[in-house]
Amino acid sequence: MKRILSTILLVAILTLTLLGSLTSCGGGGGGGGAAPDFVMPEGGFDTSKEVTITFYHSMGAGLRDILDDAIEDFGKIYPNIKIEHQSFGDYDGVRDQIKQEVLVGDQPNLAYCYPDHVALYNDANAVQTLDIFMTDAVYGYTEEQKKDFVAGWLAEGAAFGDGKMYSLPLSKSTEVLYYNKTYFEKHNLSVPTTWDEMEAVCRQIKALEGDACIPLGYDSESNWFITMCEQYESDYTSAVGDKNFIFDNETNRAFVERFRGWYQEKLVTTKALNSNAYTSNLFTGSSTGGTRSYMCIGSTGGTVYQQPKMVDGKYEFEVGVAQIPQINPAKPKVISQGPSVCLFKKADPQEVLASWLFAKFLTTDINFQAAVSMNNGYCPVIKSVIENPEYKAWLDTAGTSNLQAYGVKAALEHADSYYASPAFLGSSIARDQVGLLLTKCLSEANASDIKAFIKSAFEDAVEECEYQAGQ
Amino acid sequence: MKDNVTGSSASVKTMRERDMQKVSATQKIVKICVQVALYLFLGVMALIILFPFYWMLVSSVKTMPEYSQSIPSIIPHEWDFHNYVEVFQNEDLLLGQLFANTLFVGVVSTALSLVITVLSAFAFARLEFKGKNLLFAALLATMMIPGELFTITNFQTVHSFGWMHTFTVLIVPFLVSVFYIYLLKQNFQQVPNELYLAAKVDGTTDLKYLWKVMIPLALPTLISITILKMMGSWNSYMWPRLVANDDAHRLITNGLRTAFTSADGVTDVPLQMAAVAVVSAPLFLVFVFLRKYIMKGVSRSGIKG
Amino acid sequence: MGEKIKSFFAGLWQNIRTFFKKRVWQGFCVNVLYKKFDRYKAWIYLLPAIVLLMIFTVWPIFNTVRMSLLEGYTSMKAVRGVEFELGIGNFTRVLKYKGFINCLKNTVLLTVLTVPISTFLALLIAVCLNSIKWFSRALQTIFFLPYVTNSIAIGMVFAAMFNMILGGGVRPDFVGVVNIVIEAFGGDYINWMNAGSEYWANIVVMTVYIVWNALPFKILILLGGLQSVNKQYYEAAKVDATPRWRVFTRITIPLLSPMLAYVIITGFIGGFKEYSSIVGVFGESMGPAGNHYALDTMVGFIYRAIGNQEGTASAAALILFAIILVVTMINLYVSKKKTHY
Repeated sequence: MKRILSTILLVAILTLTLLGSLTSCGGGGGGGGAAPDFVMPEGGFDTSKEVTITFYHSMGAGLRDILDDAIEDFGKIYPNIKIEHQSFGDYDGVRDQIKQEVLVGDQPNLAYCYPDHVALYNDANAVQTLDIFMTDAVYGYTEEQKKDFVAGWLAEGAAFGDGKMYSLPLSKSTEVLYYNKTYFEKHNLSVPTTWDEMEAVCRQIKALEGDACIPLGYDSESNWFITMCEQYESDYTSAVGDKNFIFDNETNRAFVERFRGWYQEKLVTTKALNSNAYTSNLFTGSSTGGTRSYMCIGSTGGTVYQQPKMVDGKYEFEVGVAQIPQINPAKPKVISQGPSVCLFKKADPQEVLASWLFAKFLTTDINFQAAVSMNNGYCPVIKSVIENPEYKAWLDTAGTSNLQAYGVKAALEHADSYYASPAFLGSSIARDQVGLLLTKCLSEANASDIKAFIKSAFEDAVEECEYQAGQ
Repeated sequence: MKDNVTGSSASVKTMRERDMQKVSATQKIVKICVQVALYLFLGVMALIILFPFYWMLVSSVKTMPEYSQSIPSIIPHEWDFHNYVEVFQNEDLLLGQLFANTLFVGVVSTALSLVITVLSAFAFARLEFKGKNLLFAALLATMMIPGELFTITNFQTVHSFGWMHTFTVLIVPFLVSVFYIYLLKQNFQQVPNELYLAAKVDGTTDLKYLWKVMIPLALPTLISITILKMMGSWNSYMWPRLVANDDAHRLITNGLRTAFTSADGVTDVPLQMAAVAVVSAPLFLVFVFLRKYIMKGVSRSGIKG
Repeated sequence: MGEKIKSFFAGLWQNIRTFFKKRVWQGFCVNVLYKKFDRYKAWIYLLPAIVLLMIFTVWPIFNTVRMSLLEGYTSMKAVRGVEFELGIGNFTRVLKYKGFINCLKNTVLLTVLTVPISTFLALLIAVCLNSIKWFSRALQTIFFLPYVTNSIAIGMVFAAMFNMILGGGVRPDFVGVVNIVIEAFGGDYINWMNAGSEYWANIVVMTVYIVWNALPFKILILLGGLQSVNKQYYEAAKVDATPRWRVFTRITIPLLSPMLAYVIITGFIGGFKEYSSIVGVFGESMGPAGNHYALDTMVGFIYRAIGNQEGTASAAALILFAIILVVTMINLYVSKKKTHY
């Protein structure tokens, strides 16, 4: 019977040592998780062997159908590549899933990504850089294809401070100014192109409408802050050097203080300050309380929400779309958003090569790019999409009844104005924090010394960033 | 007073009686006043306790326009029950699935947990073995430690087991509750040892004895444990959110917290309140029918949910 | 890794099977083996509990201490193969961090506000319930109702009651029922929990909700205590015509002191672990719009650090444990001096 006792003891000891080894492997210093860097296999891509790759994304049902079509087309070129794909709801869902999988070395082959996600995965050394493919004579992009990309969007994949390419743009959106064209024409208002003009127009509208109106809504506080930094060419973040979070400076504090004045005068509001409802609600007049706005700065990815209500078969008002106000109209700056795609390291180079081929297909296939754009109002990342006749016809219907096309058209016109923020581990922390910082400063009504309040809020935000980024 | 001293004993007695009567009359008035005050106080407190429930129900039958009037109505103008229909059809909420998930996790983890608890409690209560007291003391000591401390590592552990986004991860880590073992052990110990020895002489196996004698005797405690455990899975929030927050495995509390913001960011509060009412209903039903056990269990456990 | 686990569990299963086949089952069936089996069966009954506790309770205790002592430990870095130095850096980092101090402040503030208020109210209600004749049962049931609710769900109801949507006009676009009541009594609207609301207002909302939530358990315990108090004490007091409040302070409170100590201790422990009620009311931003994490608590801090900053999360968890331990010790010490058993 001693055996029984020893079995129990054995089980207990085994459990503990197993757990110990598990966590020391996952925790101590094994470092076995990361796959090797890609080396181009001799003989190139092996078309004789079947290879399965997985793609994580956050597509809704409509986009998934489009993706399935694209996979079918891709299969005609590379019949031996099988593609499995899975949606994780939203960008954060994809990130959280992959983050967990990276820890055990079980990541997918390619995935939807935002720059900071790439930096996160790369903290575990899991992302495959793309330069080796980009320049490859056989499998890379042709010069023509490279030029076809909207330059600012392609550059985003190389904003990691080391000059290497980590991701490819898949479909993009930007921010535009939606305005109530009918109202503007009726009152003979001109569409603002600079922030000074914006202030003037807001005051005019406020004088016309009185209390029950907030002339301008800005959906994203983070975008607002970051874009202002770009427009002022003031410091925001840096992917290199000791200090990543450099947004606490005189210029930035000044514009925050200025916008706070606007908010306190009820000239402007943001999503967080509008009880977390998109400000498009105020713009289209569907806000629950009846407060109206006449301008709205929002994403071209959410154009449908800017659509006014139908009254007697007609839209209540005409919507105009314009570039967001600038500091220097000669050098306009607008943000770019939307998913990119990144590749992950894998032990088998054939798998990595196959996933590159698929990524390349998605970024160069005009049918896929056009279909996605028509489905969700995001911009295609290549200019040649316009050669797709169906897409061209769709773009031509741009107007209040087809606001999505209107938004896409406007976004395409900004092709030279896109900037890319530095991407690094913690860039999303900075993004979140400046959004919170702006909201906090705008909504502060009681501080006796507002300059001091803003100063300490900036300091806190930098400290918070540095803490969260583990510095 | 003078009478009291000088008067006959009889008159003293009547005076006292009269006094007593007087006193008891005022006492009666005071008593009634006190009672009225008590009922008033309790009534007001009860209203405060009940008001959130009332508000939840009232809001859930309002239409969105009525709800969003700048001054809310205390009694809805029109009763609109479509929210209750919609709650079950809402594709973001998937209430049916949430219920099914929660029920599944609740039932399985309760059943397994009961088996483990009964066996352990039996070992501690009836059997003699080396290190029993030491082991039991060690177990009790772990109760001191806040659960959050375990969560950090358990997250890594289940992760390296490959259990993420499964029902296993929602069930297995919480199967053993030292507290329930303790509770049941106390209960088992009240059964006289002679019974066990007699059963042993008869050749009854332990399991049979457990099943035939101990379990029936400890039934009230077991029911209390069952209810608390079920309530636990109904209310659990953080762990499921960390490890199984996908459509197929999401539990009810998580679904509730996240599902109600529409694409344009406006919370449909009436719909939300209807969902809250629907989700709370099973707990209320359980409470109505098993009030005695819940109260008993709670008063001994000192834990919420 | 997967293989390792698989083979381990396969082995374990095999062990258990042969074990049951050969020994235990026979032990049950054949009386001859019965006595030998008897000596070890306790361990077999305890096996599932012990294994699970080893994995999900004992190991985490060791691992938490380990991670808290590895400077800047994160699992991501660990995968990359970073070596961590031994030290107390995580503790000093956490204690120097404003966000953590804020969590600590909120937790302590909410605890010292809610525990006395809810205990006092519960005591009052329990005493009242104990001295009325009619409707006692019904009222007891009502007062117990908040216990069987989902704290996140009812938190949403409280949020709807305190809410106020400001909009652009002079008057808010939407006013919650609490402000309506305030207005009815001639007060001004208070921005309880929306953008620009003040810290004290947020704390009031949370205090109201937490007290509401904590009452039923305390009432239940105290009422149970009152009902078990020997009636003779009160009879004696009646004969002496002792005034009511003296009866209360001299008889009821002392006799009830074990229960009071119990609800206060559990109240403190629960208070230091406050989290989901705040999520219920404010959502996971743990604060009003524009001031996220203004109401974050210790547990919230730990949860947010899980999965990205395990080192500091562990340090924070150990600090929380230490605080709870110390407070409980103090409570026990005080109650030992004041409690009459």
